[in-house]
Amino acid sequence: MPNSALSVSGLSYSFGQVRAVDNLSLEVAAGEIVGLLGPNGAGKSTTIRMLTGQLRPDSGSITILGHPMPEAREAIQARMGVCFEEKNVYDAMSAVENLRFFASLFGIKRFDPIPLLTRVDLAGRADDRVSTYSKGMRQRLMLARSLINEPDILFLDEPTDGLDPVSSRTIRDLIKDQAARGAAVILTTHDMFEADELSNRVAFINEGSILAVDTPEELKLAHGQRAVKVRSRDDGVITEIVVPLDDPDATEQLRQAMSAGHILTIHTEEATLEDIFVEYAGRGLTA
Amino acid sequence: MIRKILLKDLSLGPRSPMILWALVLPVVLTFAFRMVFGGLFNTEPRLGIVDLGDSDVTEAAAQLEGIEVTFLDDAGELRRQVEEGNLDAGLVLEVGFDDLVRSGAQPQLQFWVGGDSLASNRIILGVTALDLVRTMSAVDSPVDVSVVPIGDQGLELSVRMLPMLVIMAVAIAGVMVPAASLIEEKTRRTLSAMLVTPAQLKDVLVAKGLLGTILAILTGVMTLLLNSAFGSAPVAILLAITVGAIMMAEIGLMLGSWAPDTATMFAAWKGGAILLLFPVLFTIWPTLPQWIAKLGPTYYFLQPIFDLSINGATLADVAPQLAIAAVICVALLPIVMRFGRSLEGRLVGEAKHQRPALTNA
Repeated sequence: MPNSALSVSGLSYSFGQVRAVDNLSLEVAAGEIVGLLGPNGAGKSTTIRMLTGQLRPDSGSITILGHPMPEAREAIQARMGVCFEEKNVYDAMSAVENLRFFASLFGIKRFDPIPLLTRVDLAGRADDRVSTYSKGMRQRLMLARSLINEPDILFLDEPTDGLDPVSSRTIRDLIKDQAARGAAVILTTHDMFEADELSNRVAFINEGSILAVDTPEELKLAHGQRAVKVRSRDDGVITEIVVPLDDPDATEQLRQAMSAGHILTIHTEEATLEDIFVEYAGRGLTA
Repeated sequence: MIRKILLKDLSLGPRSPMILWALVLPVVLTFAFRMVFGGLFNTEPRLGIVDLGDSDVTEAAAQLEGIEVTFLDDAGELRRQVEEGNLDAGLVLEVGFDDLVRSGAQPQLQFWVGGDSLASNRIILGVTALDLVRTMSAVDSPVDVSVVPIGDQGLELSVRMLPMLVIMAVAIAGVMVPAASLIEEKTRRTLSAMLVTPAQLKDVLVAKGLLGTILAILTGVMTLLLNSAFGSAPVAILLAITVGAIMMAEIGLMLGSWAPDTATMFAAWKGGAILLLFPVLFTIWPTLPQWIAKLGPTYYFLQPIFDLSINGATLADVAPQLAIAAVICVALLPIVMRFGRSLEGRLVGEAKHQRPALTNA
């Protein structure tokens, strides 16, 4: 892959007898957002932990930004950002103190945390202790922390899990910004809407294995029913007509449906990522 | 990197209950021990005298040893000072008091005793006052009192408690602070957050060890200063405290690396602290066989501190013991490193006997 930021081949890890990650391979390009989509216990977080050097793989190889992990761990970690699933910030410190401390670990001198905190809507509470923050604020602080070193590769483990829509929106916008400036983003989620909205490509993970990797559009096209559903009302009677787009006379059927009365709604009948995941895994994302 | 982590921990100090406790402990312990075993509030009995007639008693009182004598001009002021507890007792010598005593007239002597004064001080001052008057009179004492010291002629118990105070202060700061700090980083997973930056586990361990060492030195010095026990060889005492602090911090790192949570840490401390503390028992009770104390590693810095501060020893006198303490510190290093590697193994999942805590696969 040109501009490869991450290359993983045959990655495996077991917790005792439990195979958490099984022969996983993946390529991620610079500026690309790849969503690892799967239910709890699918192996997403274990994969992230191996990719970030927190866990040593049983087998397989990881190359990040041209360096092997974990052999070149320090060099990689200097250019890497990680946002954890757990809210592991220092509660007794303020947001400013948290960011300044981590900036110092990256060797950044005279770091000004305010611009970063402004981007995550925390500038107004910058000097307050983190122990007074809500879950969403902590999550935004963690995301800000992962961006301190303007990373070339960003790992986000369930970045919007349990957050309100406003916080989720802030975080998603920030993730898109990172990809736009050229950072590779690998995020785990079991939220199909988030994966759909954010990801250039989605990798379905179940029981430690990648079942499919493709763009959300391609997956939906490949697995969905290409059809349009038209609901209309005529003399108080609501009718619903589904027009398969692959039919040779689809255009005519659609024209008839559109003239059948007062149109209430028109929907495309494509599959959701969850539908496709169920098709692959035989189980839902929330299982 | 080490400096940055250490500075972070030090800046968190005022917000860390364990560090605050470690710093307050020497003061609390000193007060508690002195309250129980005497010393802190054992001030000399305080006697106030108002001499209205140039009495010889005043001159004799000025020569008294072991009693703090204050001379005032006004009986009202004396009474007020006694009532407020500034003096334990007050004596008013009227004009012509000496002449009346010598003539056998038995004049009235006003002797005020403070209600808040210690009973022992009241007795001492009462007897002293009578003795002062008697020696001034021409009448010989009906008995000749012979003072014979009895009992152990060694150091007071309050002095022998000093090593206990020192080890408690140094051990709490040296062992518990780095252990608790490391465990907190593990359980809150801030350690993981640090370890995905260029910081390495060894940086974290060294920083925690330095934190414990610095605080242990500080609390050790505080304890000695509070007990006026810095002796005449402060540099040597500082050296002994430093060696002890390093030893305690090494043990703290082992405890922090091993214990998965603070409950386990405290349980281990309750069970294992006796191994660190037992040598002080042999200072408190010197009749016990002293060779047993030498089995404890802490003996080799506690005994030098005791000898330097109390027994007037020099650095040369305690050098062999301090050398042994230094050897113990060096010997502990590979063990600390082994614990560190074990912790790293658990963090990166090499120890697969159990699934790592907080992992959401």
